[in-house]
Amino acid sequence: MDAFEEKTMKARLPSWLVTPESLLIGLSMAFWFIMGKLDHSFLQWEVQRELSTHIWETALMALPMTLIILTGGIDLSIGSIMSLSAVTAGLLHQAGWPMPMGCLAAMVVGMACGWLNGWFITRFKVHPLMITLASMAAFRGMAEGVSQARPLSGFPESFTRMGNDAWLGLPIAGWIFAGSLAMAVWIMHAHRLGRCIHAIGYNEQAARFSGLRVDRMLLGLYTLSGLSAAMAAILFMARRNTAKADIGAGVELGVITAVVMGGVSIFGGRGTLAGVCLGLFLIHETREFVSWHWSRDELNLLALGVLLILSVVFQQLLGHKRPS
Amino acid sequence: MKHCFSLLSPRHLLRGCLIAWILFLSACGPSTPSETTETGADNQAVVAPKETITIALIPKKKGLPYFTSCASGAEAAAQELGNVTLIYDGPTDGSPEKQASMIEQYALKGVDVIAVSPNDPDVVAPAMRKAREKGIHVIAWDADAVTDARSYFVNQSTAQAIAYGMVDTMVQDLGGPEIRAQVAIVTAYLTAANQNIWIKHMKTRMADTYPNLELVAIKPSDEDQKMAFKVTQDLMKAYPDIKGFFGISSVSFPGAAEAVKQAGQSGKVMVTGLATPNSMKAYVKDGTVKSVVLWNTAELGYLTVQVGAALAQGTLKAGETTFEAGKLGTKQIEGDHVLLGDILVFTKDNIDQYDF
Repeated sequence: MDAFEEKTMKARLPSWLVTPESLLIGLSMAFWFIMGKLDHSFLQWEVQRELSTHIWETALMALPMTLIILTGGIDLSIGSIMSLSAVTAGLLHQAGWPMPMGCLAAMVVGMACGWLNGWFITRFKVHPLMITLASMAAFRGMAEGVSQARPLSGFPESFTRMGNDAWLGLPIAGWIFAGSLAMAVWIMHAHRLGRCIHAIGYNEQAARFSGLRVDRMLLGLYTLSGLSAAMAAILFMARRNTAKADIGAGVELGVITAVVMGGVSIFGGRGTLAGVCLGLFLIHETREFVSWHWSRDELNLLALGVLLILSVVFQQLLGHKRPS
Repeated sequence: MKHCFSLLSPRHLLRGCLIAWILFLSACGPSTPSETTETGADNQAVVAPKETITIALIPKKKGLPYFTSCASGAEAAAQELGNVTLIYDGPTDGSPEKQASMIEQYALKGVDVIAVSPNDPDVVAPAMRKAREKGIHVIAWDADAVTDARSYFVNQSTAQAIAYGMVDTMVQDLGGPEIRAQVAIVTAYLTAANQNIWIKHMKTRMADTYPNLELVAIKPSDEDQKMAFKVTQDLMKAYPDIKGFFGISSVSFPGAAEAVKQAGQSGKVMVTGLATPNSMKAYVKDGTVKSVVLWNTAELGYLTVQVGAALAQGTLKAGETTFEAGKLGTKQIEGDHVLLGDILVFTKDNIDQYDF
């Protein structure tokens, strides 16, 4: 497919230049250049490091989301899983449990939620969009119910330090993301699972007939997505010292935006982790810079929209269409 | 899937890194001219020792008329003081998480004063504490923060004065303390700190002074006018004898008034509460609303900037009980609350004098 497409599109350009990734690198560098010209203080390392705390949670959830979208699925419930996990840990902390146990329980809840999504999807063959849309409402409702919408705060300092300290110049959340990224890269490139994920995305039926255990893989991916949401919830709690039923509301949109921006086809089968990382970087830098330089929150959505349209249009122009 | 691996090949990575480095260097280029301008500024400072103060004023939600009117007062104070640069920005969606991010950004930028009207005191508290550790003066305005996360709170009026004011106005509008009536409260969020304190004082006032008022419901409107409208409609159906609604946020009040008006109950069911006069003018003129309770929002913004500037210049010290607030005159300080003063009641007779 690739060879054919590459022949039909701009044959003059070298093939490494016409990938979504190189386009995103180009965009990032252009943005950095503009940022440096407009407001040099923004590019200081300390500023960048502190501001990076705003993106790690989204980034962490974007990894399993990438794999899920590669299979042709989607998980809309991560924001709600985030709030349910956070509320679990918060309530257990209030009940006198030690914080590590509370976090462990939150991760178990997250994985259970993800597993439930996967079970419904594979057992009843319903499109993930519908299942996770339903569970998005259900999990949020559960979180609001058990917490009575009360804010839970007052976590021990040893825990909140995790959200605010840096280790070797990178916030702890950044290291957790780096570790997860390494694992995701290993899955995608070294493990045969990576090829299976692409195969499911290209043609699920064919993958099934080739003897791939599609259901088990999907179940695993959605569970992983739930786990990442729980970890994001723990990081959020450590950073903001609070757990509430409305945290993570709308976070799924940011995550999906970053994945799509990174050149992953929403229909599955095509996309890379490198692209998603670049997408995350570009969205984060744009958002932070707009409020840093202009101090106008209303410009933020506009900038994000323009950026997304730009990248989608460029990708389309470069001929990266959905394989038919 | 050839292209996704081709990007990772060493030669291409190297090429990409090289281009990135060149661009990064060129982005860092302007550091030399900016240094010279800095020294230029220093020279000026020697000639005219005029210190400029940057104040970041963060509302709960940007774009609400209430906060826009506060900002106009703040802008007036900044101009009057002359050496104040005012930044007014807040989350357009009212998200507390975004508010916290903004506080972190301003702290990194190195402003002198951050004044916050917190949407959710617990969520923004760590960011406010971090800003204080950096030596920035952090104050709360309009709504209080967690007490150790800010130095002063610029309080529009005591919660008691506002709550009693609303109940007293309602009783007056209904026709006096003898009238027996069911009333309901339409609030912003069930978790909103401001509103909850008012509700507490309103209950006290009703129980102690007006036992004839019966509070039948307290409903949230999620700071959404359509939802306030719907909630009020539902309440009128559930309690057909209901005589009064308190809309205790600038969004729930017009929503409640619109519901009463559309039900054809103008003048029979009283609506009162907190809102800016402009948003309620139409309802006051057609008789749905007799009185609107508020404080002078422009003066609140003005006072906030005055307090911020005084803190940055070191003229406002801990333990003082009065504060000279420019054209507003002397204001009381109770503990760490700088008080703006009494409530303001807008009626048919005076509402045209105010434009915000």
